[in-house]
Order: sequence, then structure tokens, then C-alpha cells
Amino acid sequence: MSLMAHHRLLVCCGAGGVGKTTTAAALALAAARSGRRVLVVTIDPSRRLAETLGVDRHPDAPVALSAERLSALGIRAPGHLSAWMLDPRKVSDDVVKGFSKTPAEAERLLNNPIYKNLSEMVAGMQEYTAVEALHGFVKDDHYDLVVLDTPPSRDAMRFLDAPERVGGFLDRRIFSLFVPGEGGFIRRATQALITRVMDAAFGEQTRTDLQQFLGLFGMLLDHLNRNQSEIEAFLKTPQVGFLLVTGPAREALDEAFHFAERTRTLGLPVSGYVLNRSLASRAELPLPEVPHGASPVLRKAIERLRPHAEAELATARGHGALADQLARRGPVYVLPHLATGASELEALDRLAVVFGAAG
Amino acid sequence: MPFFQRRIHLITGKGGVGRTTVTAALARACARHHRTLLLEIGDPGEGPSPLARLFGQEHLPSEPAQLEPGLFGARLWAPAGHEGFLRKTLPGGALISAALRSRALSRFLIAAPSFQEMGVFYHLLMLLEQKPTFDQVILDMPATGHALALTGLPAVLLRLIPRGPIATAIKAGQAYMNDPAKADAWLVTLPEKLPVSEALELMVGLRETSMTVGGVFLNRVPEDGFGPEETAALQAWLVERPVQGEAAFGRILDARTAADRLRAQAPDLPVISLPEVPEHPARALVAPLALAVSK
Repeated sequence: MSLMAHHRLLVCCGAGGVGKTTTAAALALAAARSGRRVLVVTIDPSRRLAETLGVDRHPDAPVALSAERLSALGIRAPGHLSAWMLDPRKVSDDVVKGFSKTPAEAERLLNNPIYKNLSEMVAGMQEYTAVEALHGFVKDDHYDLVVLDTPPSRDAMRFLDAPERVGGFLDRRIFSLFVPGEGGFIRRATQALITRVMDAAFGEQTRTDLQQFLGLFGMLLDHLNRNQSEIEAFLKTPQVGFLLVTGPAREALDEAFHFAERTRTLGLPVSGYVLNRSLASRAELPLPEVPHGASPVLRKAIERLRPHAEAELATARGHGALADQLARRGPVYVLPHLATGASELEALDRLAVVFGAAG
Repeated sequence: MPFFQRRIHLITGKGGVGRTTVTAALARACARHHRTLLLEIGDPGEGPSPLARLFGQEHLPSEPAQLEPGLFGARLWAPAGHEGFLRKTLPGGALISAALRSRALSRFLIAAPSFQEMGVFYHLLMLLEQKPTFDQVILDMPATGHALALTGLPAVLLRLIPRGPIATAIKAGQAYMNDPAKADAWLVTLPEKLPVSEALELMVGLRETSMTVGGVFLNRVPEDGFGPEETAALQAWLVERPVQGEAAFGRILDARTAADRLRAQAPDLPVISLPEVPEHPARALVAPLALAVSK
């Protein structure tokens, strides 16, 4: 199945530093050039990418690229490209504002010290915000395709169970023990124990802040859980594809296989692998030879380059072998290693051509 | 300041720069002459840890255990810290044993926002006090999230937990970690444009959390023997001439620029260049690291 024409959501997964953000942007660019209305969502992106696409780093909502920018990127109607670089804090605040029963309640939660420090602290909050944002776009028919760049993570699937983990503290079974209420003897005894421990170790102020926080946030629970199950169901449909992005190294590939395995175990569709920064296409280039009449300095320099060139040829052949290895597991998109000094725009353009040719 | 005068070294760096490899090699280098503790922050549920794998293990143990002569390893994890502070802060043995027996309480402490991080930090403080003393403590900072999460953690925790025995312990830990005579953070980065920019940003961030920056490990620096005239001649010759070695030469030029930039922007810091090593870098880098940090 073609990558861009038939999917509504493409999720780029991979370890940190393999080039996920650039891959996601290139994919979005290629899809927009083929006439689709595309949104690319990235989290904590590089300034470079924001500048290349001509968008703010943390706008309130997705930003549609201007007509000039679109034409500079080679996108013609009906193709369209929007980008959103998410600020996890803002998305989280929006959830609170949108789903609190009254503005006063939202205000109390937004000002609670636990909440105020939450997004910086709770592991998985970024992943959670990605899921929350995703849910909005998928329901909204404004885009033909959403490309999601996941936050770097050892476990590519982390963002899928993020609501569960972030929402772990929303687990009523645990937290009802802490929020004063009714209950039988054992329940009241456990409540009393937790309260005593909290007061002794953390002080009464922290305990009351936490109680207020849990009380208020608990009210958002149903909404969040409903979103999660809807998203989970959607992610398992053929409209969704997971792309595993990897760098050209043995360990990186093993990591990608591990991700793929996890993805399949969760019942999610793997659409293929992206092998980034591959030198494979350079394997045909000749080794440098000292030309006739070369100056002594040039002769020496070329001789000095020889071992580097030989090593590079071996690497390029190795990258070809890595691509073959990936190909046995699924479709592979090989993105070339780009010359140093290439601008972000040139880089995106070259990578988008690869996806465009692949369809 | 000499490396070994400070006791704790946090090793930070973005994903893909070889931070874990450098951390392992650095710990081995320290262990040559110092009783060294290597720490990782990890959740056993997350799959095998790449750091532990370099020592032939799935995970580092939850209590310090010897990995190699002179080198001990442990995993910082929240439940160990929770248990430690419950034992220390709760009045009376009856409440302590009730608290430690309660599964509801332990689940609560893991799940409650910020209490997990606090448990990790408290576990670190416990290990620092452990006898016999570890002379050198090397901590591999998690790649996920912000490297600043741990260095900025005490300040955040104190906003949440301003008073009480835990607050007192956190303040003491914060003072220790922010003491330039005792602790520093090292950055691992690659000799390329973007990684160097990210390292410089991280350096600013670390200093904002009052963490002392010890220096930079510039990892995977390609071998460079080209003199200025050779460089110029080769650059001119390579224009419009696609041959093997062009990419390698580009990387060499990038590495020069990156190193110059780091040294210009952080003139007060040591920048330690580490060579590119194809095989077993976590072992091969031990000797150059031992030499570099003993200066």
C-alpha cells in the first residue's frame, strides 16, 4: 500500500538522534506536493525546522504555511501543508480549560502548585500531550494526512500508553484512598495511614495541595480515558501507519527491530522502515586518484585522503547491506546522507524526493 | 579544577551522541584508581538498559554490586528511595512497618505526580552516604526528556514540598549537588554543527539550575592529519569531483569548526576530544579518558 496516498496518520518512531523530525517534515512535504492536505505535528522541534517551514516555534494552533512558502517548497493546490510545534504545557492547559466544569474550577487547578510543576516533572507528559493533540486532529476532517513526530524515547510505544501512565495518578482505586470520602473500615484505615505518612514526611501543606490536585484532576479522568480508548481503536485501523526511523548502524537497527516487534505486539500496523543518513548511494563513486601533473601538496593530500576514502567505500557498502536487511522485514525508504553545509530546505527537498518517488 | 577532586559527575547528552558508551568508559577509567559507583536511572519494566548491556547485564542492580574490580553499579529507582525516606522520617516503628507493608501506599507514591522523581533523588542521596564510601560517582543521565530534569528537580520539589523532613533532605541534597567543589555535569556531544548548538544550549540550562559544568566530551572526532595547504588544495580539487572520501573530508572540516566553536564559546571549560573507535568503544576509550581526566 502506498505510504502517503492511503494513510490518514503516519507516526514516525525511533530513538533520539536518528532524524525523526526531519523525516516527518520531509514526508509531510512529499505528501503535500502530491496534492494532499497535510499537517505535521512535532514536539520540541529544532529552531532550524521552524525557520525552514516559516512557522513559530510554539503557536497556539496549527499554522498553515503561506502561499509564498508553499510555492517555495514546490507545493501546488490542492496540496497544502500546516505545521504545529507543540508546547506540551499549553496543550495540557487547554485540556484543563476545555473540560473543567466551571472557569473557577479550571483556574484553581491551573494555580495548584502540583499542577503548575507537573508538565516539567511527570515522565510521559510530552507523549501524553501528543496523544491528546492527535485525537483532536484525527476527528477534525480538515486534513487528509497527519504526520506525527514522536518525542525521542527508548521505547517508541511509550506515547501510546502515556495516557495510562500519566493518568496513573488518576487511577481512582489508588487516589480515592487519598481524597477524603466514604468507605468501609479497611478503606478508612488505609486513608488514615496515607494521610499520616504524608503529613509526617511531606508536611500538611503538600498533603492538602495534593488532595486538591487529585480531587480536581480526577474530574477530567473520564474524558481522558474515553479519548484514549478511541485513539487506541483508531490506531489499529489500516488508515494508520507506523514508520520506524533508524540510523545506519547495527545497534540502531536492532533498536528499530525491537520497536517493530513492540508495535506489532500492540496490534499496531508497521508501514515500513526509514534508513536515514545512508551512504549506500555513494557506493558507486570512484576512489580518488592523484591526477597527472598534480602539485606535490595536492598529491600528498589525496594520498592522505585515500584511507578515509577506502573506509568510506566499505561503510557505503555496509549501508547497502543494512538496507537489504531491513527490506527483508518490510518496505524500506532509504534517505541519503547529505553533504555537510546543506541547508535545512535543501535537505528536506532531497528527502522529500525519495518519499515522492516511493509514492 | 582536577576531575577527581569533585566526587559526583553527571554525564549528559542528547540521544545518539554516544553518551552511554562514554559514561561506561569514564567509569572504568575512574575505577583504575578510585572506588567508583556507576549509576543509571531506570525502570526495569522498560527493557534492557544499554548501559548495563556494556557490562553484560540486563539492568544494573538496585543495590550497589561490583561490576569489575573497583567499579560498582546500581540503578536509581523510586521505591528504594521511598522506603529509605519512610524509614527515616516516620515517627515510631509501628507507623514505619505499617507504611512499608501497605501496597496501596507504595502504589500511591509511584503514581502521585513528582513523588517518583523524588524517590529517585532520595535514592541517590542514600547511596552518596553509604559506607564504605564511593570516591567517585558517575551518573548516566537519561536521554529521554530533559537532562535538566534531575538537576532542576530539587528546586521543583521544594516548590511542591516546601516544609517537613523531606524538604530538609532535599535542601541538603541540592546544596551538595550545586557545590562546585563536589559535583559537576559533563556534556557529551558530536563534532557537528547541530549537536554542538544543542550542547551549548544544554550548558546554559545546566548553569541556570546552578549546576557546575565540568567540561565537554567531544565524541567520535575523526582522525585529521591535513595541514592548511593540503586542506585548501583538496577542497579546490574536490569541487565538482564526486569521489569516495568526500563525505569523510567534509566531516573532518565540520569537526574542526565544531571544536573551534566550542572552545570559543566555552573558553573556561576543558573540551576533551575522543577518537572514533569502530570496535568496543566502551573499552577502547578507557585509556584516552583516563589520561584526559588525570590532567
